Amino acid sequence: MGTSAPFASNAPLADRIGTEEVIVVRDLCKAFGANKVLQGFDLTVRRGENVMVLGKSGSGKSVLIKCIVGLLRPDNGSISVLGQDTLALDPEALDRLRVKIGFLFQSSALYDSMTVRENLEFPLRRHWIAQEGNDREALVHEALENVGLMNAIDMYPSELSGGMRRRIGLARTLILKPEIVLYDEPTTGLDPITGKEIVELILRLQQKYATSSVIISHDLNVAKLAANRIAVLYEGRNHAEGTYDELRAMTDPSVKQFFIFM
Amino acid sequence: MTAQRATGALRGTLLEVGAVSRFTGRFFHEAFRSRFEWRELFRQAYLNGYLSLPLVAITAFIMGLVLTIQSRPTLAAFGAETMLPAMVSISVVREIGPVITALICAGRIGSSMGAELGSMKVTEQIDAMEVSGTNPFKYLVVTRVWSTILMLPLLVVLADAIAIWACYIGVNMRGTVSWSLFQQQVFDSLVFTDLVPALIKSVFFGLAIGVVGCYKGFTTEKGTEGVGRAAHSAVVLASLLIFILDLIAVQVTEILDLN
Repeated sequence: MGTSAPFASNAPLADRIGTEEVIVVRDLCKAFGANKVLQGFDLTVRRGENVMVLGKSGSGKSVLIKCIVGLLRPDNGSISVLGQDTLALDPEALDRLRVKIGFLFQSSALYDSMTVRENLEFPLRRHWIAQEGNDREALVHEALENVGLMNAIDMYPSELSGGMRRRIGLARTLILKPEIVLYDEPTTGLDPITGKEIVELILRLQQKYATSSVIISHDLNVAKLAANRIAVLYEGRNHAEGTYDELRAMTDPSVKQFFIFM
Repeated sequence: MTAQRATGALRGTLLEVGAVSRFTGRFFHEAFRSRFEWRELFRQAYLNGYLSLPLVAITAFIMGLVLTIQSRPTLAAFGAETMLPAMVSISVVREIGPVITALICAGRIGSSMGAELGSMKVTEQIDAMEVSGTNPFKYLVVTRVWSTILMLPLLVVLADAIAIWACYIGVNMRGTVSWSLFQQQVFDSLVFTDLVPALIKSVFFGLAIGVVGCYKGFTTEKGTEGVGRAAHSAVVLASLLIFILDLIAVQVTEILDLN
């Protein structure tokens, strides 16, 4: 997104945020060879809350959410999602838990060999949801109407623009109506207007389906617009935490560097 | 320095062999466990089997015809021209049919699997599948490997039949042999134990093509450059394995005295 757009916060109101902790990460460590990416990171997300993890490129933000969803196994630490210790789950139990967790990839990760309709039907078929053709069709239509792309239903991902791919990716992420959604750089690579539209769409759908979110980004416009709370990931650890305004008021150079263009 | 490089290359080769073996082991572990991905298996059988038909058929036809034309002068020199149908059919069924079909499939299917899965890996599609609660190994790898295991013997039988038919055309280019006489000469020379070892080894060829193609795709790294490398190395490694398996199959057939 651009650097000067005056976005007003649309983050969920504090009274909509529950007390139940849906994600609890403690002392998370992950290294790739000699490169220690995470060195004891902590994160707590409550029901209905939007938490943004802010960090520079390569600081380990994506590694963090890949550990949360079980794509990567941390070297140390604990991860609890919806009360379940994800590191202790067997593959079948982890798959069942993943139905309740949506993941929007930075690249959208749409299946190239499938049309938009087949991309959206894929998670439904996999989990035996809406097995009747009409029910499945209704869910696909609802998902596409949510993102305003009904006309793309029979198109292939290669025929879509970057913004459209991100919207379809969001529709596929939300089609199983997950309780938690993890967003990996949702606006990276998009122009400021499309980026703002995507964030507004994320917030609208979050209110509609009452999800909790972890948003990974280095984009402060996303932070301002969507986050209830921001955790700054710096050198693998929690460096600072607070609302957008609290962080902006900080004098710490490691935090201030993120606001250099704001 | 040279010794150090050679040691490094040997170590890399052994690590690769270990990784492919583990990948094959995982395939057998997952291949017989529910849930079976029937829909995807049929789709892969169509893509890898049915769509390979034209290429296999054309190659088999040319192979049968050329073999007949090339062998005729030698047999004629010994006054054994009437042995031509028998010689060509035994060569085709025992050796040339399975090996040529497998090499064609290694090129067509192996490269396609390496490139497709490699591209899915670098664009996070495999991760997306996993976070949606689908076992990508079972969905993508098991179905593809089963499809090559099942389709290759069928393609080999078809290639054999077309090559023998091409031999009939080749024989009649310089002579007149009726179809019934040709058939009699072919089936008099062939026995059941010519076909069975060939079909068994084609199952192993199918396993090698599927496993190598999927392994190279599934372990792709370093972006689009890695995708190209995965496709290329899948063909090279699968072709090499086909020759090694063929050598082993010949030895086993000899030991068991099946010919």
